[in-house]
Amino acid sequence: MAADNPAPLTRLWAWRFGSLVLVVATWAAVTTSGLVPEVFLPSPHALGTAAVEMVTEGYKDRPLWEHIGLSLMRVFTGFGLGALVGTALGLLMGWRASVNAVFSPFVEFLRPLPQLAYLVLLIVWLGIGESPKIVLLFLAALPVAAVAARDGVRRADPTRIAAARMLGASDWQIFKHVILPSALPEILIGARLALGIVYGTLIAAEIIAGSTGLGWMIVDAGRFLRSDQVFVGIFIIGFMGLALDRLLVFVERRIVHWAGR
Amino acid sequence: MAASSKSSPYLPWLSVASVAVALVVWQVVATSGIVAPELLASPAQVFGALVEILRDGYRGTTLQHNIVATLGRCLVGFLLAVALGVPLGLWMGLQPRVSAALGDIVQFLRPLPPLSYMILLILWFGTGDGSKVVLLFLTALPIIASAAMAGVRGVPQNRILAARSLGASFPQVVWNVVLPSSLPSLFTGLRIALAAAFSTVVASELLAATDGLGWMVLSASRFLRNDVILLGIIILGLTGMALGTGLQMVERRLVHWHGRG
Repeated sequence: MAADNPAPLTRLWAWRFGSLVLVVATWAAVTTSGLVPEVFLPSPHALGTAAVEMVTEGYKDRPLWEHIGLSLMRVFTGFGLGALVGTALGLLMGWRASVNAVFSPFVEFLRPLPQLAYLVLLIVWLGIGESPKIVLLFLAALPVAAVAARDGVRRADPTRIAAARMLGASDWQIFKHVILPSALPEILIGARLALGIVYGTLIAAEIIAGSTGLGWMIVDAGRFLRSDQVFVGIFIIGFMGLALDRLLVFVERRIVHWAGR
Repeated sequence: MAASSKSSPYLPWLSVASVAVALVVWQVVATSGIVAPELLASPAQVFGALVEILRDGYRGTTLQHNIVATLGRCLVGFLLAVALGVPLGLWMGLQPRVSAALGDIVQFLRPLPPLSYMILLILWFGTGDGSKVVLLFLTALPIIASAAMAGVRGVPQNRILAARSLGASFPQVVWNVVLPSSLPSLFTGLRIALAAAFSTVVASELLAATDGLGWMVLSASRFLRNDVILLGIIILGLTGMALGTGLQMVERRLVHWHGRG
């Protein structure tokens, strides 16, 4: 039980560090001994060489930062638009039951729909440039943001709304000063969830139908059986995902902190 | 909030009307000639495609077969992840050392877009069902383990201490106190994990498959069968909604049952 034996922090660090060392040591052992062929699992050394090469020389005519930048730009454009429209729609849906009744069938349908399924349709409609990807990410973020904003509005305390109304606040004032601040934490949780989904969707879209970006980079490396480059790409994608998530947590803390005052 | 408290009887009809209007607009736009017919099939044509596929199948596969193939992969991967992820998460929540040792790996995997390591899994296990099941397992596992761990950490200490002071053994505390108290958090994780697995299975079928709903949609786009693409998307959306509802029913039963105990 956690409470019974509060292990000292230094000991926990040892466990944390030890497990990582163990993983890397096992990895180095099975690859350098020849137990697992280099094509299936590159050795840590080969991975390091590939990483240095990709950082200094880029990947296929483009510097590495350009692939990263292209992916990030798509993520932020699609997520920004989807979260903005989705949140506005969700606030309205929470505020007016009739708006909710009109839009909820579409939002509830779109939300669990696998995003890549409509990528196929978007490519038929918009070609294979940037626009289908942006629309894809917009549609991926929108329902998640809308549902979060709607639930946030509904979580507003009815007594506070009644109190504001009794003090003579208009609908708009109640919305701005009571409902929006109460909905904000939920909206930001939704934004974090949406950003994760958007990022995953973009990488998948670049893998399936891309010609630039991080997703394309690893699928292209995979075609040439350069599993060292695939691994480096996966690590970059993983750390970018972590960084995006941390960014939203940071924003969340700042905004909710401010709203709390 | 006014919206949720007074739900008027006309609201469900508003939803029905909204969907009906959307269908009519779709039919009019598709048949008016504003949009080329190969870009947008009409609802009537989509229904026609449904009848045709139910009767003749789609390129040698029946619709039922494709639905079962997609759902089967998704559920096998998801259930394996539940079987391993729940005990793992509980263990991590109960033992700080275990969470120190495994936490970094789980936290790295969680935001990592699954399709990025699909390329490695194809290299390791081939393009068959094996690599897909492993993919979905790895998609759902970190989400479920994190949710179970968060659930355990949220259990009020006084409940655990009360049970212990009444003479409960460690397994009894885990089974009767920790597990039921962490169920709400766990189910939030299961919902997110199932949705992620469903999105990922379709993405993986777009990348490499010979059956399944994702394969059907991709194949239809190659043969310019816009009606089949739209049919596939609608079936996927409805299946996604059904999965979410199914899990919600399980949650109500389980949490309800535990609530009585």
